[in-house]
Amino acid sequence: MSRENKKKKFDKGYFQKHPCLDPFTCRVCGRSVVPEGAGTDHRNHCPYCLSSLHVDETPGDRRSKCHGVMDPIAVWVRKNNEWALIHRCRICGKLSSNRIAADDHPMKLMALALRPFAGEGFSREGLARMSRHMDVRDEGRP
Amino acid sequence: MDLETGTRRCFSCGFEMAEEDAHCPNCLCSLHEETQEEWECGGILQPISLWVKDDGSWEILQKCSLCGELAATPRAPRDNPLKLLQLAARPLADPPFPLERIGEMTRLMGGSGSTEGYYDEP
Repeated sequence: MSRENKKKKFDKGYFQKHPCLDPFTCRVCGRSVVPEGAGTDHRNHCPYCLSSLHVDETPGDRRSKCHGVMDPIAVWVRKNNEWALIHRCRICGKLSSNRIAADDHPMKLMALALRPFAGEGFSREGLARMSRHMDVRDEGRP
Repeated sequence: MDLETGTRRCFSCGFEMAEEDAHCPNCLCSLHEETQEEWECGGILQPISLWVKDDGSWEILQKCSLCGELAATPRAPRDNPLKLLQLAARPLADPPFPLERIGEMTRLMGGSGSTEGYYDEP
């Protein structure tokens, strides 16, 4: 066992200090994912189905005992105008926010962003009523 | 909580909240009372995004301004519609890729999916 592999195995905080550059197979869609092309050293979700695994409690500590699949549920815009994905663990419901990578599937990301508009969440009648009420006519004025 | 009048004010915007509100209906913020490790935090949970559950109901995702923990709170019927629209539309207003080239990008990356479903089912 080389020195680096030994460190990876026994040093508890190894991945907090070093990026994990191992290729992996996505547990949801089964595609193999390589670290190249992400634009970042910290690839934490599959670029095709955007799913992740619940292995960390805080980034890189590998302390979680849950190991559930984390589904992408939403996107949000961070302060530096960059998108981030919000993942939710299927088993324990933990939420976590992750930066998107350069090669994430753009259609998948767009589908996530459009989800609130797709359902009945914004009622058209409500919006129409609101805009009618906002458009105040000054009838009392001469 | 004001003991004399029995009202509660939002710590973020000062809106008068009802007793049963989990978050402020005006600014969608709430107080981060307890973290997952059961520490008292006391930061303000600010809304960052919306999540549509499988049954179609919504939850508002919040992030603590102090400790950064994420929380989810169900949408209430009297929530400010303008704030909800803002949360939903913010990613669309600031996309990480040019929207007019999204189809080209997807093809280059060898992915599937298309935007053509808007007019009719392809």
